[in-house]
Amino acid sequence: MNKRSDAFSACHPAVNFFYFMLVLLVTMFLSHPVLLGISFLGAFFYAVRLKGWKAVAKFNLIFTLPAMVIVAFINPAFNHYGVTTLFYLKTGPVTLEAIVYGIVLASMLFIAILWFSCYNEVMTTDKFVYLFGRVIPALSLVLSMVFRFVPKFNAQVKVIRNGQKCVGRDMSNGKLIKKIRYGLTILSILITWALENAIDTSDSMRARGYGLKGRSSFSIYHFDRRDVTVTGILAGLLGVCLLGFHYGFSFAQYDPVIKIGGIPLTPWSVITYLAWTFICFFPFLLGLWEDESFKKLEKKMRMDRDIPWYLKEDEPGSEQKILKTDMTFTEYMNGGKETEGGTECELY
Amino acid sequence: MNCIEIEKFSFLYPQQTVPALAGVDMTVEEGSFVVLCGKSGCGKSTLLRQMKTVLASHGQKSGCIRYFGTELEEVDERTQSAEIGYVLQNPDNQIVTDKVWHELAFGLESLGYDSATIRLRVAEMASYFGIQAWFLRNVNELSGGQKQLLNLASVMAMHPRLLILDEPTSQLDPIAASDFLETVRKINRDVGTTVILTEHRLEDVIPWADQVYVMDGGRMIADGTPSEIGRKLKELGHDMFLSMPTPMQVYAGVESSRECPLTVRQGRRWLEKELEDLQLKAAECEENIGGNGRETESVHHETESVRKRTHVFSEKEVPEIRLRDIWFRYERELPDVVKGLSLDVRKREIFALVGGNGTGKSTTMNLIARIRHPYRGKIWLEGKSIDKYTDNELYHGFLGVMPQNPQSLFVKKTVRDDLYEMIDGKKEKRSDAFSIEMSKRDAVAGIVSLTKLADLLDRHPYDLSGGEQQRLALAKVLLLRPRILLMDEPTKGIDNHYKKELGEILRKLTEHGVTILLISHDVEFCAQYADRVGLFFEGNVVTNKPAKEFFAGNSFYTTAANRMSRQFFPDAVTVEDVVAGVDAYVRR
Repeated sequence: MNKRSDAFSACHPAVNFFYFMLVLLVTMFLSHPVLLGISFLGAFFYAVRLKGWKAVAKFNLIFTLPAMVIVAFINPAFNHYGVTTLFYLKTGPVTLEAIVYGIVLASMLFIAILWFSCYNEVMTTDKFVYLFGRVIPALSLVLSMVFRFVPKFNAQVKVIRNGQKCVGRDMSNGKLIKKIRYGLTILSILITWALENAIDTSDSMRARGYGLKGRSSFSIYHFDRRDVTVTGILAGLLGVCLLGFHYGFSFAQYDPVIKIGGIPLTPWSVITYLAWTFICFFPFLLGLWEDESFKKLEKKMRMDRDIPWYLKEDEPGSEQKILKTDMTFTEYMNGGKETEGGTECELY
Repeated sequence: MNCIEIEKFSFLYPQQTVPALAGVDMTVEEGSFVVLCGKSGCGKSTLLRQMKTVLASHGQKSGCIRYFGTELEEVDERTQSAEIGYVLQNPDNQIVTDKVWHELAFGLESLGYDSATIRLRVAEMASYFGIQAWFLRNVNELSGGQKQLLNLASVMAMHPRLLILDEPTSQLDPIAASDFLETVRKINRDVGTTVILTEHRLEDVIPWADQVYVMDGGRMIADGTPSEIGRKLKELGHDMFLSMPTPMQVYAGVESSRECPLTVRQGRRWLEKELEDLQLKAAECEENIGGNGRETESVHHETESVRKRTHVFSEKEVPEIRLRDIWFRYERELPDVVKGLSLDVRKREIFALVGGNGTGKSTTMNLIARIRHPYRGKIWLEGKSIDKYTDNELYHGFLGVMPQNPQSLFVKKTVRDDLYEMIDGKKEKRSDAFSIEMSKRDAVAGIVSLTKLADLLDRHPYDLSGGEQQRLALAKVLLLRPRILLMDEPTKGIDNHYKKELGEILRKLTEHGVTILLISHDVEFCAQYADRVGLFFEGNVVTNKPAKEFFAGNSFYTTAANRMSRQFFPDAVTVEDVVAGVDAYVRR
């Protein structure tokens, strides 16, 4: 609830969703090391920004790193393609190509998980419901009702269990067979209750005109100008990237020999990689940019507030001047300096 | 212009022989505030539902209902949806979606408005009802009062011309309820929406009403302005008075030719005048012996006797429930909910805990019922530490707990099966739940006659009215033969007639040696039936005194009867006390 607000999260859900789709798809289908590295850095910085150092480090050390290690080792142990044999195991030769590909695969997994953790923070359920409600309007209401019912059921189960516990019939009372019987009773009470109350809900829906033709769908999201700009920038960057990919800067091959496109760097490959960098760092940079503008604003505020004491004392009229800044449109058109009477004179 | 006109309307439910509504006439002027009252099951809800076609029950109808001059059935569904707003009883069940903003927009979406219009309407409603603060929240984070306000707002967003409310506050606590009713009144006053309302809490609505209709057994028995109603009901000698505000009840019990008082303020003035009159009469008869002083004395005597009744319990007797320095919090990091609570409840008394929301009353009850455990302090029941009881000892034949929501106890399809379920079926065999040498049939019959369920045995528990459900739940709990009965809000959502019955049942139980601890917001009920009352505040019982003393000593947390008459009869707490006081005056 009291999460720090994030600039990218405040964008339109469609922008959020398509951004994540784009980054994830590119990360998962291109095994180019440079692109992956950039993608990793972008995801990592954004995740840290969203969740803080500790959470990201903890999660990755405990879950992702072990998984990565396993994948990185399993691949060369069972796959023996490649020309550069390093040493032999019981299963066969271990090649450089297989090891490299194992590492690439593992990092791909790692990066995808990192992006998904950002996705989870940004795409809350109501954004998801909204997006897919657009595609299938009925689904949006159904999902919304489901999200309503689950906590309601939970609360009710607690009430019923307490009630039953007090007559000695909760699942925590008695022996196994009784426990099961009491559990079933609780379930049956819950279902009767739910069905009975569903009548109320349906009454309430019909009373408010559900079922009339031409139902519309309202949302609190609004595709504003910033979303247009953001979409434009992202589309432009994506265009550059795709062009680059088309020319083979994203080409990567690990079997039988390692071949990486775009390296050594040429001006065109640099441009492609830069564009990709901007895409990956986009949410992070947007956040930084917002922070920066807030800092500037704060500075301004502080300058307004902390005027030196000698100025403060002398100017009792300064407050009035500040008040005067919110002038009306007519005042502005007339030069703003005019008094109230003056504006009228000017008008006629 | 008349918003609703009902002429000779009758309604018969399918497969029933007695009509639910018989020849009802009603005229509701546009912009008026109409209160419809009557006992539970008198046909109020049936009538209200008939005023909106999609909600109307199916059955045989005759007579007609007109909405702004046109036959209601000819008004199309779209118009009805938008113009006739309907708020139901249960705050939780009416909410359809998971977000507050979505709920507000629900009706407007149905009507197919575009986003811009919806945004405006929703914003308007959120501002008017003060919902901005929780606009983006999930609905399950809201309190009951907020939920009901949300239901009202989401109906109002459709800009209805007629607002129908069917006992909207029966599930709310008194403060939330009067806030809600205040909002309804504000809508009526500011926007001019016509309001038709049914309520138990008539104290809050009767004084505002333009027109009051009283129903009984499917018929309109009286209608008129509130004070006219007072007089008419008095002439009829109808027991509907029980549901009326306290000043009107006092009025009904006293010979008076004046206009019926509606509020406490009016009631006090009325009482003052009445007593003056009586004094004058007394002066005329030249028997004027400073009646006032002796009067209060006699009331004093009465309370003295009540006090004696409660003081019969000697000090050395083991208290039935004893709590010593109880501390409790839900989680380690959370603040304490119960703070150093000590309390004794004596055997065979009705002890009521009153106090605001979230002060820890229900938590205390859970501690005594051993659903939760204190982290410090001890609880003794009949002198034995609560931890030393086994589940079987505790919950069978010793401690009975009435949950706030009776429906959480109902399992079977009929009331009879449900009762037998409690003692492990109809087969005559001993079990943990039923270990005494008595046939189950007799046990059930005894409980049924005590709780007056005899006529309802073949009904489905969910088809019973609120008060009947409460009695069924009580019967189920009583079948386990508890010696201590804990009740959480036993009077929630039931009308004064059922309250009276419930109170009498409780009294009878104490005669059988049952100790009752109840928590309630219902000051009037506690004043009438509790032996002792404790005020709960900030996790502790601030004071506990015999009921009369308790309420006579408070100036805000007391009954309407006491507030109305404290100048004249400082010890009078219930309507009967006041009436008795006036009677004593007359006799002199």
